[in-house]
Amino acid sequence: MSEIKKVRFRRSAAIATSLAAVLVLAACTSGGSDTAASADNAEPVKVGVLTDMTGAFGIVGKSNEAVAKFTINEINANGGVLGRQLEMVLADSATDAAIATQVASRLVNQDKVAVVVGGVASFTRVAVRDVIADKGNTIYIWPASYEGGECSTNVWNTGSAPNQQVDPTVEYLLAEGKKTFFLAGSDYLYPRNILARVRQVVEAGGGSIVGEEYVPLDMTDPSNLVSKVLAAKADVLFEVVVLPGTAPFIKGVVDGGFKGKIAGTLFDEGINPLIGAQAEGLIGVQDFYLSVEDPFTKSQVAKFNEQHPEAAGLFSATFNATAWYRSFYLWKAAVEKANSFDTAEVNKAMDSVSLKDSIGGPVSFEPGTKHVNLQMYLGESKADGSNVILKSLGSIKPLECK
Amino acid sequence: MGAQIIRGIFDVLSLSSILILLVIGMAIIVGMMKVFNMCQGELVLLGAVTGYLCGIYLGNLWIGILLAPIVVGLFGLVLERTIIHRFYVNPQGALLATFAIGLVMRETLRNRMSRQGTPVDAPIQGSIDIGGASLPVWRIVIMVVTLLLALAIGYVLLKTNLGIKVRATLDNPDLVSVSGISTKWMYAGTYAFGSALSGFAGAMIVPLQTLYPNLGYDNLILMFIAVMIGGLGQFAGPLAGAALIAVPGAIIGQFISPVTGQILILFLAIIFMRFRPGGIFQRGR
Repeated sequence: MSEIKKVRFRRSAAIATSLAAVLVLAACTSGGSDTAASADNAEPVKVGVLTDMTGAFGIVGKSNEAVAKFTINEINANGGVLGRQLEMVLADSATDAAIATQVASRLVNQDKVAVVVGGVASFTRVAVRDVIADKGNTIYIWPASYEGGECSTNVWNTGSAPNQQVDPTVEYLLAEGKKTFFLAGSDYLYPRNILARVRQVVEAGGGSIVGEEYVPLDMTDPSNLVSKVLAAKADVLFEVVVLPGTAPFIKGVVDGGFKGKIAGTLFDEGINPLIGAQAEGLIGVQDFYLSVEDPFTKSQVAKFNEQHPEAAGLFSATFNATAWYRSFYLWKAAVEKANSFDTAEVNKAMDSVSLKDSIGGPVSFEPGTKHVNLQMYLGESKADGSNVILKSLGSIKPLECK
Repeated sequence: MGAQIIRGIFDVLSLSSILILLVIGMAIIVGMMKVFNMCQGELVLLGAVTGYLCGIYLGNLWIGILLAPIVVGLFGLVLERTIIHRFYVNPQGALLATFAIGLVMRETLRNRMSRQGTPVDAPIQGSIDIGGASLPVWRIVIMVVTLLLALAIGYVLLKTNLGIKVRATLDNPDLVSVSGISTKWMYAGTYAFGSALSGFAGAMIVPLQTLYPNLGYDNLILMFIAVMIGGLGQFAGPLAGAALIAVPGAIIGQFISPVTGQILILFLAIIFMRFRPGGIFQRGR
């Protein structure tokens, strides 16, 4: 009996000690940020960078962090924004919506950042959007190619919208004489919206859909889906099966003797090496490939790889590297145009800012859409993971928020 | 049409054998030892990593497949002697501790990787054409190996002296220890053996997927369900449980959407467990 009491006492003592430690820590950190909040103009401006440093998207986070550092350092080296240096505050959303909400709230309420750039998956965007943009009244830039439809106040989208990737891909395939399409994807919002767009464009162009199938997100062995695709014998397989299913799915289809073309929205230097030699011939449209010849793009990517050896090879469109890069510059342009860091002023200015140079090509917000006009490229993958550009498509307008 | 049927049957056999192979190690540790081993998936992952590294540095995945059970077995032995053995009296604690171990292993690998995943080539590539369906050879190898492995382990556990000692230790450690057998090392050895089997499975299946940090974790839920359906306290139950969810899953998946199929299978599993809480080979009442 006394043994048990002793143990209980020890436990509660331990809990009390750790509780006290946490309280002391909390007091210290909140004290620190209070002084930062009452800063004068010479003080740096805090910029929130929110990405998944751990969990399933950890590698994407590694790329995002490096691109953010690279861009912020570059802006600071050229005099900062309105004469003030930027200070990056990194928050790990851990591929978990609940954690994302917590760290987003910390960025806005504790660090009092002027802007938050971030999110890898849409579930993170949805989780942090209200905390940052609505309740936090802070500019939130969502730097990812995604399923479309994000038109909330204070939120700005710098990745490609579905029509920018899907329309030119499908139009190219139809022009090549491909008529029958099989649609396959993972079962969540992004693939469903992308494939809905594919269906629309295929049917409008006189093609037909011969099958549409979704697999659970966590399915590691999509053998059943492979068999269905092979049985349908379509001219085109348009696939948005995301990792980890991508490689086994495409390998299965190719090795099973599929005769048609495989197209998708997620093929580039970031993803293709996972697929291996079976990546040969994959078709897609991105806002950037390593083979883009634009001199600004080439020199920037070389500089990035040199300055960030830890993330060399992680600069790719599917890791949203281009969108991250332009996010900071578009925000900088809007702040300078507004001559203020005030959310309402920056919001007004953001609607029509543009960049003459950005990685991948010039970019501008299409007024009234909250999305950007992007230079897009039709690419075909090679067995070694690289991509040849079949066609430079020029600037494509986002069809969003109308 | 014939090709489609052949492919359908092949899918059923292939998916079931893969799940059974994954579950064999867990059948020992969770099924027989009743340790709720949340890092079982990472033992699979460690085997896959061993296979991959041997493929890269020794140029031969075969060596990796042979080495994986040894490496992961030794890792399991160390793990049991340092951490796991402290939790035999505290199953909830084991759940948390092993989850933490798995998390550390997963994130350590993620930190070391420069990509989201890496393809690993099977030692035997290519397909065999049967009735117009081209069937990947490596999947056939896995079917054969899984069958032989399950039979061999079943034989050792049921028919050999060592198997009797192991089962006796897990059944009644006190009685075994007064009979002069070191239960401490029986436990450690059994855990190491279960780990080794998972490591072997990891090296075998990695060519079918990609090597990525969540390789084992993504299969963990399905593995646990197989063990639960199969029943605790025995070796064969979990394997039967794996077959019981994989076979109808693969068959249903051919006719309806895989998403609905997965929901249906889990639903059936719940109903099954309601009526046979002791598992497939439930004895008495």
